[in-house]
Amino acid sequence: MISVKELTKHYGSTTAVNHLSFEVAPGVVTGFLGPNGSGKSTTMRMIMGLDMPASGTALVNGMPYTALPWPLREVGALLDAKAYHPARTAYDHLVFLAKSNDIPRARIDEVLDIVGLTEVAHKRAGKYSLGMGQRLGIATALLGDPGVLLFDEPINGLDPEGIRWVRYLLRDLAAEGRTVFVSSHLINEMSLTAEQLVVIGQGSLIAETSVREFAAQGTLEAVRVVTPMTDCFLAALDDVGAEARLEDDGSIVATGLSAAAIGELAADRILTVHELSPLRGSLEDAFMELTHDAVEFRTGSRS
Amino acid sequence: MTNLMHVDVPTPVRSRYGVAQAVRAECSKLRSLRSTTWTMAAVVAGSLLVTFLATNSIQRHGRGAFRGFDPTNQSLTGLALGSLAIGVLGVLAITGEYGSGTIRSSLAATPRRPLFLAGKAIVVGAISLVVGEVMTFACFFLGQGILSGHAPTATLGQSGVMEALLLSGAYLALLGLFGLGLGLIIRNTAGAMSAFVGLTFLLPVVLQPLNAHGNPARYTPEQILANSVAAVVHQPGQLSPTTGFLWMVFYCILVLVIGTMLLARRDA
Repeated sequence: MISVKELTKHYGSTTAVNHLSFEVAPGVVTGFLGPNGSGKSTTMRMIMGLDMPASGTALVNGMPYTALPWPLREVGALLDAKAYHPARTAYDHLVFLAKSNDIPRARIDEVLDIVGLTEVAHKRAGKYSLGMGQRLGIATALLGDPGVLLFDEPINGLDPEGIRWVRYLLRDLAAEGRTVFVSSHLINEMSLTAEQLVVIGQGSLIAETSVREFAAQGTLEAVRVVTPMTDCFLAALDDVGAEARLEDDGSIVATGLSAAAIGELAADRILTVHELSPLRGSLEDAFMELTHDAVEFRTGSRS
Repeated sequence: MTNLMHVDVPTPVRSRYGVAQAVRAECSKLRSLRSTTWTMAAVVAGSLLVTFLATNSIQRHGRGAFRGFDPTNQSLTGLALGSLAIGVLGVLAITGEYGSGTIRSSLAATPRRPLFLAGKAIVVGAISLVVGEVMTFACFFLGQGILSGHAPTATLGQSGVMEALLLSGAYLALLGLFGLGLGLIIRNTAGAMSAFVGLTFLLPVVLQPLNAHGNPARYTPEQILANSVAAVVHQPGQLSPTTGFLWMVFYCILVLVIGTMLLARRDA
């Protein structure tokens, strides 16, 4: 359980995070979505007690991170940038972290196995590829078997197989009842992984919702009709009060009626239909629309 | 409980992590970096070499010119180089974390920052102390061996010798902590090393023109070591060994307190 209240952070005259409040519940993957530079990493670092907020609070399991009795046993994090020494081996990196929280050594071998780094565990981490570095970060996060996990852009640098692996890992961790909070600037990736979303733009909350609701919010439900009898069809739609427009490719996009209703309308009027397909609001559209609004709002409020 | 987690992570006996965990973590950090070994090897080799050169050159003076000669002090000339290496160890112990990003892992594991720093200071202090004492005694015995037969020598039994050796070794531990404090304030390896070299080695040179005006150079770390702490024969115009040592304790406390305050406030 993560609970952020009125969190604010400035860097000089720039406001990186602006009165941000949200909650992340256990048992589901919650995506933390926003364009690059919108304050996701800063927020995560403040939750981890690494960056100091100007005001507001971030609580993990009801207390500030710095007050946790055994931090790594309650919270695991994959941080944005590299957080290990290039001259140290993956194994040694995990050893000092394990010692700091009295975690048994056997657990190190286990997390190395989970992320697939066993073979290279005794190589210097500086020689790792970006993807291997990410895997070491994930091993670090899992080390204390924590109930709360934060992943900052976990798929960065991973190959398609690695991306799939992370997707399953995140879902499995959530299915075990853990709180899983994952940041990304890629909306489509989030739609595949997350159930809940916290969307921010320019440091402010835009939406705190489920992925499904967020997608529906993007555009109104519409139905695409391909027919050889375009004019008659447009007239019929007009008769029943549906909005309809003619696309460049000759198809009709109708709003205000379900696909089923349009099919029945076509049968009533004996109109030929080649294709009838509902168009779902796209997540990407919703995301672009909402973050675009945030940018405009911010610019407007300054002038 | 799960398909992902096989090894039980048992609940620890203690209610929360403390200095013991911080110290153990810092020990494995230092041990797992080759730079630690190299720095320590540099302390050993460099100090002994300088001591060899310094005591060897005395032979050519011939007899007669030994009034006020301090064989102990002469044999500890090598500690100047050794103190540089120990300072670098102290600096790297913290700037290496900032440079690589390890600091974020460290503070995520040990978020109570004064406690994190206490662990670091204990480990850096302890290693510097052991290396410092070993170096001091090694330099002493090497130096006396080379001096013997050509110049007056000192023995451990002579008045003040043992005290000077023990104090010099402990002084090197202080220089390690001084480096740690500077690294904590500056956070950047090159910057902190420059500050360490500047304050210990260059400042006395800069202050030399003021020799006639209270000789402020005698308060600088390297001068305290060479002229006060490592001296058995008291040199006029210099601080006494105890006074010099206490000044260095004060410098360490100063940089560590400033460093701790900054650490507590800054973003990692």
